[in-house]
Formats: sequence, structure tokens, C-alpha cells
Amino acid sequence: MQRNFLKYTSLLLSLVLLMTACEEEKSIIPPARTELQNDVIKRTLGPNIVGLNLEFAYAMALAPERGKLVSAQVEASIPGAGGTYMENKTYYTNGSGQDVGTEVGTALPTEGKITKVNFTKDTSASTLRYYYVIPEAARGQEVTFNFSATSSTGETVTYKMGPYKIAKMDMKLDMAVTDAAASYISIADMAVYTAEEAATKADKIDLVYLYRSIPGIMFNHALVSPGANPEYMPDLTLPAGVNRSTKIKKEWNLRDQHLARLQFGVFIDDLDFEKINLTDMPNYALNMRAESGAWVETADGRYRAYVYINSVNNNGKSARISIKRYAL
Amino acid sequence: MNAMVKYSKITIALLLSCLVWVGCSPDFPVDEDGLLVTNRAECYVSNFELLGSDFQTVRTKNAVIDTVAQTIDVEVFYGTDLRNLYPQFTLVTDAKLDPKITGKVDFSDLVTPKVYTVVSGNRKVRKPYTLNITVQKR
Repeated sequence: MQRNFLKYTSLLLSLVLLMTACEEEKSIIPPARTELQNDVIKRTLGPNIVGLNLEFAYAMALAPERGKLVSAQVEASIPGAGGTYMENKTYYTNGSGQDVGTEVGTALPTEGKITKVNFTKDTSASTLRYYYVIPEAARGQEVTFNFSATSSTGETVTYKMGPYKIAKMDMKLDMAVTDAAASYISIADMAVYTAEEAATKADKIDLVYLYRSIPGIMFNHALVSPGANPEYMPDLTLPAGVNRSTKIKKEWNLRDQHLARLQFGVFIDDLDFEKINLTDMPNYALNMRAESGAWVETADGRYRAYVYINSVNNNGKSARISIKRYAL
Repeated sequence: MNAMVKYSKITIALLLSCLVWVGCSPDFPVDEDGLLVTNRAECYVSNFELLGSDFQTVRTKNAVIDTVAQTIDVEVFYGTDLRNLYPQFTLVTDAKLDPKITGKVDFSDLVTPKVYTVVSGNRKVRKPYTLNITVQKR
């Protein structure tokens, strides 16, 4: 019995020894590259809408003993709109979580497709932000970016980003609508008009904003198309000729980040406008609440839009709306 | 030796009969939708909900379900678009609904209310429920 025990123990021990004896291979740390290198990340999310920014962070570096950075530039396939620029500061985040900029170069004015920064500080590594304001010329097209950097050693590196599809839709934020005042909404013009103005643009008025506090029913804030049943426009006389019937579909929980600017990472894209079917929808929407919205299709079938209610004010009989619009 | 042969014969016969019995017992019964047919005979609607195109309720108050008269009375908000509504029935265990609800339903014909039939778990009891919708008045 004891002999058996000894036999097994020694066998086990030798197995353990055998296992520990098998030494792992040493991991190899690759030698750091010293030549000029670069990398880019895109910081903006969601559909790319004309007038908004496309933001990139462009990082470039080479070994300090090798040389320093001379210039960084971006070439966009379509020239950016006014306000397109490249930061001449490099940022670090301080203890309080704030980004603190240090100037490292001179920003040259954007010339056509090219935006450039020449380094003035003796620096061998930097990350510069690039803000491309999407121009009208890019609507519905694709944009690509060529980032490049040069160093004092004469090396040049490039990094291609894109192509990025620029959305066809338009956007207008924060329009104030007030009952019995600025209450006539035109999707075609992306504007709000008073009754007098509406009378002169009768063929462009798609919606009327109303606020009614009627005991016993939930009317409150409403978007009614002028062609709707007059019972949904109590005590309202429409200006002559304002009679378009717009299809409206109420929506809840669709807080597009561009329109709402809230924490929700939801975006309405061109595709949503193309796919939505509003054929059987009514031509009015009552009891609209803050953070709700409505899909809209104009009577002539030229536009589809999403009207988002940013806020409502019962006492002021008013609301703040933002619109995304897509031309069919 | 003789006894052993006898025992093994009996055992084999028993096993065989077991096999035959198991082989012939019916599978769990399912109906035409592939749903399990049980022996429950209860047949009623326990709750009813009606949603608008924004998937928010359009009821002004709880629906009144009369399981004797087999009616559901529901009042909807003033201005509700009756052509685009999503009804939701809650039924007793194992029961199912006929016709099935597959999407939005047009309830704009208030004169002829829609009838939905509840079918019991054993698929033997069928009770038609009439859905009466009224729109809140100003």
C-alpha cells in the first residue's frame, strides 16, 4: 500500500516538474519605428449634413533624434465651405478633464481644397484637429480626404480617409412657433410665417401650429395641415388660399441627435426618408408633446420631413421645433 | 437452462411490447399554427390595449371587457386616427385569437365593429368578442 502511494506521488511530482521545466518562449518587443508615421480618426458621428462639421484628429510623429515636424496638410476632394480650418494647437487633457491647447504652428488660410499648418515649434509628435464644413457643392456626393505630413528629414506620409457620403437632406434648428402669431410652417421654405405672410405664400404652407386648451379632451399643441377637417382647427380662420393637405405621422421616442441635441445616439438619415410609407396617414396630429415628433410628406409629394418638438410652453402657447427635410 | 431460456423470452417479449407501446403513443398534439393543443377549456380576453401609429396608447381609460356579453368597449382620444391602430389582446393561458393581428388595423368603420374570436387551449371553445370603439367627444 505504502509503496503504491510513493509510486504515485513520485509520478505526479515528476509530471509537475516536467510541466514547469517547459519554459515559455520570451515575448519579443518590436523595436520602435523611428520614421515619420501618421494616423487619423474621424470624430463626428451620424449622417453628414451640409453646413455641419466633419471633424478629424490627425496624428503624426517621428523619433525626436531623427528630426522634427515641418508641416501638416489636408486635401479635400471638394473644397470645404467657409470656416473649414485645421487647428494649429495640439491638445492635452488636464486633471480636471479639460482640453488645454498648446500652439505648435501657424494655421494658413484654406486655399481651395487644401488646408495647411506649418509647424513653428520644435516638435516631433503632434495631433491636430481638422474641421471640414460641408459645402453645398457636396450635397449627395462623396468626399475623400488626403492627410499628409512632412518632416525635416524630407519624409512625407499620407493617410486617406473616406469616401464619406454627404446626405441630401437639409436641417433647420430651433424655429419658434406661436399660436395665433408665427404659426404657419412651410416645409418647402423651412420657415415659419405669420398669417399675413402665409396669405402671400399660400402654396407653400404645409402645417399650422395650434395650441388649444379644451376641457375634457387632449388637444394641446397640434400640427394640423390646412387641408384637414376644420374641427381640428377650432376658432381658426385660415388665410385665403391656404389649403394644402399634408400627411402626418406622429412619432414618439425618436430623438434625432442633430435635432434634439440630447444624449440619444439616434440619427435620421436619407434612407429613413426614402423608406418611410406615409400613404394612409392622417393630415393632422394633436397633443404633440415635448421630445415627440412627426413625419411629414407635403401635398405635392416633393418633400418628406421630420418635425421634432424641442420644447413646448403651455402658458406662452408656443413651441420650439427643429426640422430635417429631404427632397424626393 | 430451461428456466433461463424462458426468462430471456419473457424479457424480450416485454421489451418488444414496450417498444410497440411507445412507438404508437401519439405525439403532443399541435394545431394548424404549430401551437400546442392543451386541455384548457377557458376562453376569454383578460386585457385589451390600443396603440396609435406612434405606439402610444390612444385609450382615454381602461377598456371595459365583458366576458359574458363578449364585448370590449374602448374609448379613444379626440382626434385619434382610426385607420392606423395597433390592437393588443391579452388572452387566458393557451388561448389564441382569430383572425390573427399582424400589423396595423383600420378601425374607421365604427358602424360595423370588428369581431375577434378567442379559441380555447383545447381548440374546442370559440368565443367571438365584439370590439366597440367610440371616439371622445368635444
